[in-house]
Amino acid sequence: LQLDFWLAPRGLGHPVDIRVPFPSLQPLKAHLEANGISYSIMIEDVQTLVDDEQMEMLRSRRGLPVSTNTFDYATYHSLDEIYTFMDLLVSENPNLVSKLEIGRSTENRPLYVLKFSKGGTNRPAIWIDTGIHSREWVTQASGVWFAKKIVQDHENNEGVASILDKMDIFLEIVTNPDGFVFTQTQNRMWRKTRSRHSGSVCVGVDPNRNWDAGFGGPGASGNTCSETYHGPYANSEPEVKSIVDFVKSHGNIKAFISIHSYSQLLLYPYGYTTTPVPDQKELHEISKKAVAALSSLYGTNYKYGSIITTIYQASGGTIDWTYNQGIKYSFTFELRDTGRYGFLLPAKQIVPTAQETWLALKVIMQHTLDHPY
Amino acid sequence: IPDSGHKYYLQFTTEDYKSGENAGSCLATVLYPKTKSPPVVTIKCMHTKDQKQIEEEDNRLYQKIRHQTKPIIGNNIPDSYGNIEPALEPVWALAVAGSSYIMWEKSAENLGYFMAQVKSVKQWIRKDDFTEFDYTVLLHEIPTQEIVSCHMRLTWLPGHPLKVKYFCASDNQGLEDGSGMESGSAAGVLNERGANF
Repeated sequence: LQLDFWLAPRGLGHPVDIRVPFPSLQPLKAHLEANGISYSIMIEDVQTLVDDEQMEMLRSRRGLPVSTNTFDYATYHSLDEIYTFMDLLVSENPNLVSKLEIGRSTENRPLYVLKFSKGGTNRPAIWIDTGIHSREWVTQASGVWFAKKIVQDHENNEGVASILDKMDIFLEIVTNPDGFVFTQTQNRMWRKTRSRHSGSVCVGVDPNRNWDAGFGGPGASGNTCSETYHGPYANSEPEVKSIVDFVKSHGNIKAFISIHSYSQLLLYPYGYTTTPVPDQKELHEISKKAVAALSSLYGTNYKYGSIITTIYQASGGTIDWTYNQGIKYSFTFELRDTGRYGFLLPAKQIVPTAQETWLALKVIMQHTLDHPY
Repeated sequence: IPDSGHKYYLQFTTEDYKSGENAGSCLATVLYPKTKSPPVVTIKCMHTKDQKQIEEEDNRLYQKIRHQTKPIIGNNIPDSYGNIEPALEPVWALAVAGSSYIMWEKSAENLGYFMAQVKSVKQWIRKDDFTEFDYTVLLHEIPTQEIVSCHMRLTWLPGHPLKVKYFCASDNQGLEDGSGMESGSAAGVLNERGANF
């Protein structure tokens, strides 16, 4: 009869709920009546309910986003929601935004980069990434906000519109999607990738220790169970390798900004050595201006300096590699806060954080535009 | 300091953990001996809040806890999205204060901590006036980036020092005793800001 028990038989005196396929209705009724079993109809037609629910879900705000104008920027979203947001942004602004797949994660999730371009061929470009450390949720959330902001500036011909006249912007919002999904489903404090290594029970590599700059030196761990495990070799992580390949093949990236949280810092290379970068003075000056711009909005205090002098020694880091590749304007941000909520930054701080950070990013982008090299 | 260790001179301001208001400034020296024994600390602070106000806030916090009809229990404070239920705020505040003792003892010249989250809390009702809580707190360790899980047993009565017993997952020692020497106040927990080395 293909009866589908929604409330299975438990014993005497307990009701049983059954979903009955249409052809089985008559036989079942006959059987119940013949045995003196009383019944009542709870739902006349399950299919109509299912259809209604489907329609609601498609329409609903609580489901996947339907437009970037109704998208809630002041809340944390799932990976699917963010990927849907990206597609919406592209379809709403096909002349400005395109989506590139630069590779796949360990668990085979696509690694997407949004390209904002007004044309030209291989224009000098600015790269921004967020979410390389999955637990730093305010960064992915800010990345989403940045994407929308770029589009808005373009529409209103203000802000970065002038930068887009000459340069392209690349934005990778979820740089570590495997880790991100893990923070939503299993462990909110997960930082690394989700790669597995033979001979170890522990999972994951710190994607900010996996770059080929001082790789394996002090400031990273060789222990697979450590949060700063550098990986078996440089670029072992597809999340890292795809960016490396992209940067190398593009060949014209002029500024590279990798965003983390928390601590409220603006950092430039190096992390792996105390030797100052040749452009130290200039990078320090830019940082000073960028931080001033950031603070001007809500009074948020940032410190700045090289990674090794401001935070701690870290080897195999992203911007050390990008700098050594010749990308002079390489910076890392550590966004809000300074430890009170840490990684668990309340959602109501997402937009203020993104807004203030954007001011600093604009300083860096403007400087890059004004100082071609 | 040659043959002795490293001495740091600090000047910093503090702020109220709850309100963010300025709570005073402090001058301190910290000497990390070469021998790796615990650091020697001298500290002097100027509080902007007066003792009476602190006492009142402590009592309010205490009354809030005492007026619960059932033992307080909670998980994931703040939650993944940074939310703290208003009813659980007092318990979070106590965790911050208690964790600060753990972090004080575990910190070293190149090892620091933040309290990342209260994983769980369970109140033990006592026959006397003291409030008692069993916590699992997660500490974020810098620069290792590790998340250290600590079990903390905390006992408090306003006007008395906070009593903290803890055991952290990475520790090999037995139950550590982190009891405070001076009167602990959980309402206006000091948070360091702007340390100058």
